[in-house]
Amino acid sequence: MNFSYNWLAELVGGLDVPPEELSRLITLKTAESEGVRAYSPHLEAVCAARVKRVEPVSGGRNVKAVVETSRYGERTVVCGASNCRAGLLTAYVPAGTRLNGREIGKTVIQGIESDGMLASGAELGINRDAAGILELAGELDLRPDHIIEIDNKSLTHRPDLWGHHGMAREVAAILHKPLREPADRGLLPEAPGVVRVEIEDLDLCPRYSALVFENVTVQPSPLWLQYRLEAIGLNPINNIVDVTNCVMAEIAQPMHAFDADKLHGHTIYVRRARDGERLTALNEETYELTPANLVIADEAGAVALAGVIGGLASAISEGSRRIVLESANFSAASIRRTSAALKLRTDASMRFEKSQDPVNTVRGIARAVALLREISPGIRVAGGVSDAWRKRGRGAPIGLPLDWLNRKLGRDVEAAQVRAILEALEFGVEEPGPRVFSVSVPSWRATKDISIKDDLVEEVGRMIGYDSITPQAPLLPARVPPFNEEREYHHEVREKAAALGFTEVYNYSFLSEELARAFRMDPDAHVRVLNPIAADQSLLRSSLIPGLWRNIIENAKYFEGFRLFEIGREIHKRGQAAPGEVTHFAAAVFAKTDGAEHLMELKHLAETLAPDIRVAPGTALPYEHPYRTAQLTLYGKVVGRLAELHPDKIEQGRAGVLDIDLDALHATTERELRYKAVRRFPASSFDLSVVAGEQELAGGIQDKLAAFAGDPLERIEFLRQYSGPPLPPGKKSVSYRLTVASPERTLSSEEVSAIRQRIIDAMVALGYDLRV
Amino acid sequence: MRDKLAQLQAEAGRRIEAASTLDELEAVRVEVLGRKGALGQISKEMSKLEAEERAAVGKLLNAAKQELEAAFAARQADFRKQVLAEKLASEWVDLTLPSGGVPAGSLHPITRIQAEIEQLFLSMGFAVLDGPEVETEHNNFDALNIPPDHPARDMQDTFWLGAGMLLRTHTSPVQVRGMQKLGPPLRMIAPGRVFRNEEVDASHEHTFYQLEGMMVDRDVSVAHLIYFMKTLLSGVFKRDVTVRLRPGYFPFVEPGFELDIHCLICDGAGCPVCKQSGWVELLPCGLVHPNVLRMSGIDPEEWSGFAFGLGLTRLVMMRYGIDDIRRLQSGDLRFLNQRLTAGPAGAIRSGNAERHGLAPGQPPVSGEFEA
Repeated sequence: MNFSYNWLAELVGGLDVPPEELSRLITLKTAESEGVRAYSPHLEAVCAARVKRVEPVSGGRNVKAVVETSRYGERTVVCGASNCRAGLLTAYVPAGTRLNGREIGKTVIQGIESDGMLASGAELGINRDAAGILELAGELDLRPDHIIEIDNKSLTHRPDLWGHHGMAREVAAILHKPLREPADRGLLPEAPGVVRVEIEDLDLCPRYSALVFENVTVQPSPLWLQYRLEAIGLNPINNIVDVTNCVMAEIAQPMHAFDADKLHGHTIYVRRARDGERLTALNEETYELTPANLVIADEAGAVALAGVIGGLASAISEGSRRIVLESANFSAASIRRTSAALKLRTDASMRFEKSQDPVNTVRGIARAVALLREISPGIRVAGGVSDAWRKRGRGAPIGLPLDWLNRKLGRDVEAAQVRAILEALEFGVEEPGPRVFSVSVPSWRATKDISIKDDLVEEVGRMIGYDSITPQAPLLPARVPPFNEEREYHHEVREKAAALGFTEVYNYSFLSEELARAFRMDPDAHVRVLNPIAADQSLLRSSLIPGLWRNIIENAKYFEGFRLFEIGREIHKRGQAAPGEVTHFAAAVFAKTDGAEHLMELKHLAETLAPDIRVAPGTALPYEHPYRTAQLTLYGKVVGRLAELHPDKIEQGRAGVLDIDLDALHATTERELRYKAVRRFPASSFDLSVVAGEQELAGGIQDKLAAFAGDPLERIEFLRQYSGPPLPPGKKSVSYRLTVASPERTLSSEEVSAIRQRIIDAMVALGYDLRV
Repeated sequence: MRDKLAQLQAEAGRRIEAASTLDELEAVRVEVLGRKGALGQISKEMSKLEAEERAAVGKLLNAAKQELEAAFAARQADFRKQVLAEKLASEWVDLTLPSGGVPAGSLHPITRIQAEIEQLFLSMGFAVLDGPEVETEHNNFDALNIPPDHPARDMQDTFWLGAGMLLRTHTSPVQVRGMQKLGPPLRMIAPGRVFRNEEVDASHEHTFYQLEGMMVDRDVSVAHLIYFMKTLLSGVFKRDVTVRLRPGYFPFVEPGFELDIHCLICDGAGCPVCKQSGWVELLPCGLVHPNVLRMSGIDPEEWSGFAFGLGLTRLVMMRYGIDDIRRLQSGDLRFLNQRLTAGPAGAIRSGNAERHGLAPGQPPVSGEFEA
């Protein structure tokens, strides 16, 4: 929202701080200013000038004009405007003035020295008329302005600050200056209204006020009004529309003017739209409505989308002679829903959705009467204000215990100062008991903003200035916070992976349908985003692997080999239930070779995370190498997968991937380790080599040897694997060293031999040859 | 015999001295000192001497033997030293060659900052909580005093999942979970990933990281909040920071504040990074709205609290001088393997931030805890 400094200065008596300082004070005490910019500073130098004579310049549309300026005497300029004619009173910009970023100089145009220039309204920042130079009726008495831009987000809760008067009230309170009321209710005629107003639902439209005017002249507004609107970014249109915008920008009351002669009947209905009812709005778009949308209607149908935009058919035009001026109040939620559903945000809807004050409607009409009298000569009011509303009593005052207030702020504020602050903001303050105020809230703050005593803490706090509060250490008992074991575990896993050479990546939680399909994951089995930013972000990832795959493809352009990992949440669709989130650890090793080293490196990583993790044969997923895939188990529970990505997914090399359900791994990992006595008697070792089929899993052979060795087995170590002569083709020999011992005594060589023989016999019984 | 001994001793001494290899030396030892050596021979011949003369020659013989043995041992030690030196010389290794081991990987910059800040809070008695990324509309909005159709919902463009579910737009819903789980009094933080449905550019992301913090206790005041934020931020930036509060609107706090810190580049004097204001907007905070306490089953007449939100992503960018937010989730090893070192405020003060155009005061990266 843009605020004009000049406008504020009109409303705050004796405003004496410069715009920059005002901006700073507003930021500190009211709402965030995004900055101040000078508006039309050139107006300092611009003055009126009468064109004395015009001489054509050969070749082109330019004319040589001699003008008599009001401040600089006679000047000669070259002008290209078609309306430059003798006798015209226009605006003169002297040489040396900066205008819209460039300095106006004395230049020679087509052999004629042009001293300064004549300017259009658009060039001067007064309006948007660039068709010709400005046509004045008298001296140009517009002053340079400053625009203070306030962040709209910081006004979300303040319906009153969507107009200059609301901000002026803040400024007056901050600076202890008087505030001027722009509306004079005395101007409102005491008579029954000419139009009847029927409100279908007072919850949706708590108040609708209207006044009819006759003998209207529709014409451009005077320059001061055009300039005022243009400066804050509103487009001057004609005097009637400009008055509605001016009132809105001044007291935050959106208004609308209908051409009364284009309305059917004498009743204005405020009702829900009928299903399928259509309205062509001022923006020339046609909207198909539903009962969720509130409309203003006449006997023939909808004439405006309530609180959002007027209808085209009943719009003010040059020929309008009678108007109905609407000043109404609508439910914030209803306006917001309509505006969102139709994707139509207007200056009016933005204000209404902040919960405007119903008391303000008639005040708006009073202000408009004064303005229209000034700028539409001969205008007459027909009847009085038609005013339909549900009168509501003021809300109960808020009890404000002053000691409680001090405790909240953390400093003492004198009762008199609290009172002064609240009264400057037009709160009513009574003191029903010792050190307790009873505070009544002004109507413009009562719609949503202020309802409890905590809200008053802010009013007092911001006005005394938060910098007046001395920081104070809270007195808190020392307490050991609950331990977040999971998070600690995640950090530990990250540290280990990084130490082993893996670089951590963060990928998005989104997945495209295309990528899901490429990994043969059913898009419909995923949680879907109803309003994705882009089509390729429509699903939530149910696996970290597609993200890592993309990282691999991208990084393979620059690196021969690399290691990546990510810890992130998989999001799983669970029917009607809320989606499930599972934290996964996924890692990848990319290499140019097709060996198995990258898989072994990942296996080593898995074993580093959980030394007891086991590799178990598993069926390949569609995106895995069919012969290089395995499940990972921990104490019999499946905790993840180790596989190579299918080579058809990566052209530049090979990538192994490790995918571990970190929640499961963490839950299964033994946490309480207990001391085991160190063995006191010497152990004995012997080696065994088992001949097996080439693709038989060594892990299985090892498990068998271990099982047959039984209790005395202390450890079993892989020594080597061999195939080739003298072994027959298709066979391999796998060698292990077994170490056996007893906790009670030293095993005799006979006992060791017996154990060894027992294992050999058992293996032979299973059909294995042993090379001993 | 005495002459013979003297001659033998002198000559053996010379030969020991002259030996050029261990073998030559050993040969001398065998010849002279060995069991059948020259000295042994003399010893045998001694029996022929008179008792008196035998005792005298015996003494000489022993002295000669000791002298020669010592000379031999010394010479032998010299040779061994020399041999070892030659062996060692042959073992020269170029330690500038690469180790051949896998170089360490690195942690993501967000992980690092997050861990650092978690530690800071743990030391101040805060619990670290987690919440789901897929949240209910209730927890994300309603329970935080943002009812449906509240314009504050516009501040956070939301990814909707249907059936009242959404991707959380802030970590604030973990406040709700924390209050329900821990009950008052409590101190908690909740770092995590959040989502906003906005277009991505160098300073805006639809996915970023926040850290929510909350303390609920008796009689928590604005003065406590300021003290606490100052302490916290001094820990984060590893230097003293000057803070100020100004009004800010967030429906789940009342009063609500924007907290600014003195610009870390100019220390408040005014510079281009802080647009000459001397201040940089850092985080939103406030006293917990009584409705929020009540909705989580805490009596606001008995308890009060403060809450704040810290933009981890923005902090990471400030800390490391990262000029494009998109790098963080690019998975690009050219970026991630830079092993960024956190030269906390130093990096910012050195002018990096300014150079990269990504310091405080730049167009805020989303993720500032906007309501």
